[in-house]
Amino acid sequence: MGIITISREFGSGGETIARLVSEKTGFMLINKDSIARGLSEHGIEIPAADLEQLDLENDQDRSAHRYIEAMHEYIYDLAIRNDLVILGRGGSILFKDYPPSIHVRVIAQFTQRVQRVMKTYNLNSDTAVKLVKEKDRGMISYYRQVFDVNWNNLRYYNLVLNTEYIELEDVADIIVGAYRIHAEPREVKDGPPKSEIEDSVFCTPAETAEAESEQFMHPSEEEFAHMLDFYRIRWEYEPNTFLLEWDSEGNVVEAFSPDFYLPDQDLYIELTTQKPKQAWKKNRKIRRMNELYPHVNVRLIDKRGFESLLKKHSIDYDQETDREKGE
Amino acid sequence: MHEKKSYGEDQLKVIFTREQIEEKIKELGSRISKDYAGSELIMIGVLRGSTYFLVDLTRSMSIPFAIDFISISHYSEQADSAGVVRITKDLDLSITGKNVLVVEDIVDTGLSLGYLLRNLKTRNPAGLKVCTLLNVEARRIVEVPVDYKGFDIPNIFVVGYGLDYNERYRNLQFIAEFDRSRKST
Repeated sequence: MGIITISREFGSGGETIARLVSEKTGFMLINKDSIARGLSEHGIEIPAADLEQLDLENDQDRSAHRYIEAMHEYIYDLAIRNDLVILGRGGSILFKDYPPSIHVRVIAQFTQRVQRVMKTYNLNSDTAVKLVKEKDRGMISYYRQVFDVNWNNLRYYNLVLNTEYIELEDVADIIVGAYRIHAEPREVKDGPPKSEIEDSVFCTPAETAEAESEQFMHPSEEEFAHMLDFYRIRWEYEPNTFLLEWDSEGNVVEAFSPDFYLPDQDLYIELTTQKPKQAWKKNRKIRRMNELYPHVNVRLIDKRGFESLLKKHSIDYDQETDREKGE
Repeated sequence: MHEKKSYGEDQLKVIFTREQIEEKIKELGSRISKDYAGSELIMIGVLRGSTYFLVDLTRSMSIPFAIDFISISHYSEQADSAGVVRITKDLDLSITGKNVLVVEDIVDTGLSLGYLLRNLKTRNPAGLKVCTLLNVEARRIVEVPVDYKGFDIPNIFVVGYGLDYNERYRNLQFIAEFDRSRKST
């Protein structure tokens, strides 16, 4: 039946919004707790304290895999007979082809989220900052492990709402209104129209590159993406932001979004076409990143390195002259 | 002190002499001979830079082996951006069930070697290893296994001993840093 999925950045007010949407529509609210209760009634217990902390890669007895599979089946099962508001759990991915459905992402600025978390959970700013960061990382890792998608990619959503300047009640009304606009015309048609970009979530890097070429900040980045495509290496463009520096109030004063992520190499790449004298800023950011996120691999490709990648006379491209020039 | 040589407008700074290269290749040849003793080995030269190295390396080996060559297309700014890497000259021998040693002149970004290894792996060789004369870790983009390496070098442009600049200098018996910014007077 009808589905509204709400994915939220921790601290953006998504829980309240989901509850309000559920109240306004009469749709059943599905969240982590209701899923845990439902599965528990079937004798299936969550194998970790927190779903975001599941480690699927080292899941020796496959208990985490089994739990996630059971959870997905449970949600799909509920959707057959019920209208649902699904908070989190990758609802937008699970129900991407499920009409009528609308997929909402609720976001807010980091500082706003920290403030909300401080208020809601009665925490000091240091603890709140830590918690929000931890939750963000948890979501990224959960989506990557379970769905192999980038949590920060907003293409999985129909509607993105920033809660900074809108009352949560209004946000809920917008979502309910959007759902009605979306769902109602379908009832008079023969069937749901097939989405023209149905598989956009899973398109190839080359297709993505073509569609998104205008999104690159710098031509060198586009060129680099073409090169990765040429060698058939999967990439994502600026998928994550790493927070580097906070002031005494917990406000983020410096963050870093490496240009590329290569999922198969688990490697972030930052390109700089600046001269070495101006590249110190990026070098400093990378050093800071290595301090704060030692488990994250990040590589800086500087102007010289990048030029040598692309220049005709690079030693790696010694076959230049016998490339298919006539084709 | 590095010996400097001028070739017209080009300045070459010798970084590995003929003697140093010979010694290193002897070392690699005996290691490979030891490691692959009693197994069916196919040495695959990656065209065209590795030809000089492959010849001298195999001459320094004391075990039987077969030789084959492979060549792939490379990326360039001018190339059609929708294009993908492909094999322009494939192997003549079957490598299924054989021990394969890919011989490179230089491994830098790892992009082309990475593709080559993925491609060769699908042919189910018994073993797949890499031997390179030069290794430029500073330029690496994707990780590739390098099992035998001659020399590690920093991010510099080198010519000689199979490595070229516009097809020049492959036949030099030493390896030199090629200076593009300074012109000799």
